Amino acid sequence: MEKDNILEVKGLHKRFTSKNVTVRAVTDVSFSVKEGETIGIVGESGCGKTTLGRCIVRAYGASEGEVFYRTKEGEELDFLKADKKKMKDIRKDIQMIFQDPYSSLDPRMTVLDIIKEPLRANYPNMSKAEMDQRAKDMAAKVGLNPTYLMRYPHAFSGGQRQRIGIARALVINPRIIVCDEAVSALDVSIQAQVINLLKDLQKEFKLTYIFISHDLSVVEHISDKVGVMYLGRLVEYGSTEDIFAHPKHPYTEALMSAVPVADPTYRRERIPLKGEIPNPANPPSGCYFHTRCRYCTEKCSLETPEYREVEPGHFVACSRCGEIELTGFDYSLLNKAD
Amino acid sequence: MEKDNIIEVKDLHVDIKMLEGLLTPVRGVNFEIKKGETLGLVGESGCGKSITCKAILGINEKKCVPHGEIMFRTTDDEEIDLLSLNPRGKEIRDIRGKQISMIFQEPMVAFSPMYTIGNQINECTLLHITKDKKKAKEITLEVMRKVGIANVEKRYKQYPHEFSGGMLQRALIAMALVCYPKLLIADEPTTALDVTIQAQILELMKELQKEFNMAILFITHDLGVVANMCDRVAVMYLGRIVETGDAKTIYANPQHPYTRGLMGSVHKIGGRKDERLFSIEGTVPLAMNLPKACGFYDRCDARIEGLCDKAEPELVEIEPGHKIACFNCQNPACLAHREAAMKQIKEDEAKAAAEAEENAKGGKKRGKR
Repeated sequence: MEKDNILEVKGLHKRFTSKNVTVRAVTDVSFSVKEGETIGIVGESGCGKTTLGRCIVRAYGASEGEVFYRTKEGEELDFLKADKKKMKDIRKDIQMIFQDPYSSLDPRMTVLDIIKEPLRANYPNMSKAEMDQRAKDMAAKVGLNPTYLMRYPHAFSGGQRQRIGIARALVINPRIIVCDEAVSALDVSIQAQVINLLKDLQKEFKLTYIFISHDLSVVEHISDKVGVMYLGRLVEYGSTEDIFAHPKHPYTEALMSAVPVADPTYRRERIPLKGEIPNPANPPSGCYFHTRCRYCTEKCSLETPEYREVEPGHFVACSRCGEIELTGFDYSLLNKAD
Repeated sequence: MEKDNIIEVKDLHVDIKMLEGLLTPVRGVNFEIKKGETLGLVGESGCGKSITCKAILGINEKKCVPHGEIMFRTTDDEEIDLLSLNPRGKEIRDIRGKQISMIFQEPMVAFSPMYTIGNQINECTLLHITKDKKKAKEITLEVMRKVGIANVEKRYKQYPHEFSGGMLQRALIAMALVCYPKLLIADEPTTALDVTIQAQILELMKELQKEFNMAILFITHDLGVVANMCDRVAVMYLGRIVETGDAKTIYANPQHPYTRGLMGSVHKIGGRKDERLFSIEGTVPLAMNLPKACGFYDRCDARIEGLCDKAEPELVEIEPGHKIACFNCQNPACLAHREAAMKQIKEDEAKAAAEAEENAKGGKKRGKR
């Protein structure tokens, strides 16, 4: 494990088996995260983003692979093999914000109880008064009015509920937060409030985010690095600018060209993706993307491309990388409007 | 009604009576759509977008009471007020699904899980085009092919759960297009879909629009999609249209504070990353017992105390085709509107004061008696 990495995922696999069907939800995913960074994970629905996030917090047990985590004391731990006692310690450091603010809060608990719950679970010896105090402080920090904390979740709007979810994740001072589509269910004006909040909190607490989203413009705004997933595999990983402006994988290129840009004068070539994401229970041979790829050759359908570093910090899983010329966003055209 | 307009919505209100009071989700909406044009209706959830378009088709729930005027030019070049028709009557049924049709937000919910896709599309064909079952099936298969569904014979017999989200949305579009409507209402047609599938569906809609010279009312909260699809944009807030104009003008030069906020809160790809997103404080108020004030007053950063909280601005044309409803704008037309509102407020206040005095006198008299 490298020195300044806080998290290293190596060869992570997750398979779901039912009767005689095996779905490979996550296949051989590796990446590393530095402290204080934001990693965006993007891809179409069903590509394994959420499963990856849940494997990282160990809500699902991974089928294979390792997730190394560096504790505050500098100790390296394999997160997936840690015993129960160790696990309890690490859980305090890795928290999750869920997608749907309507179903992730217990309707029968008051907001104060919801925010207090991680404290109750992780610090059984803490006094009630202190728990209340910490929960209230955190609520104030995320912009919830402390006088409303005795209410139940149904009395809050979507944006407020998402703040409750954020307060719950932050109350035990975690170091890593996995945000699974944390802003997707919100309206744009509320989305902006929550994104600003997440960024402020990151600065204040030096948080590391793993930001899972299908909304590419949000990911571009918030992330330092981006990983693109397709059918359970990480096909490209690199700095945000590299991924958006100089994609090296045909799938990333197509994905970027499909993003709607809020500027009617910006015109560009659309690269249509034929068909839909294949069934993960029965993935295509060779490169998973070859059925929809416009640069596909015979070799692609036979060999699984290696996931390799083509430039410092830029990883791609495409055997034709280097041979083909791909286009991303033209930043100079986009900035013209400002 | 102007000649090349296909629909004109004039001063549309929708009221819902509830136990707690009268809910007014739509409060005086005006817009028109020309033949072959795409109008984008933008706004946050709860601003009345969906209720407006359901009012056009007369498919709102019973408790929603619309009033106002919705003029529609039929295929025979007749002008009809859709609101004057009985929502369960024969005339509107002739228009609904045939001349105006709608694509719903969630394809998974819009189809009944109990019937095959073919059966459900065919329902429309049989109702409006032909009673001959064989012919109807042919027409249905043709339109399914047109929207890009492969292997139509097999797909015809499949149930909605056998379709993916994108394919189901295509099937829904096929259902809406089978009669070649003059106006297509698309209520967030791509919100539930992935970006790549979204791009496919938008492309498809554009092609079909060109082919049939169809007008589209495109409802969405995604400003990126609007920039891609629409000729004109109308921004809605709290049941009213606050700004309307052609897409390029609105994106380049938004005038209403709400539009500006909305545009600012969307991150532009390639924009500065260290910059905070502009966010509009607070949330949309509930459209019940609203005071006589600008609906955006509480959240506005350009409000004028004593004016915006006492009068509601009307839509004023500031450039040809570009209208806004705001007092705080330096355009001469807006300033005139502001003056008029100020005058009105003063008059009202004087009147109210006089009345209060009168009442006070009357009260004293009564007290003496």
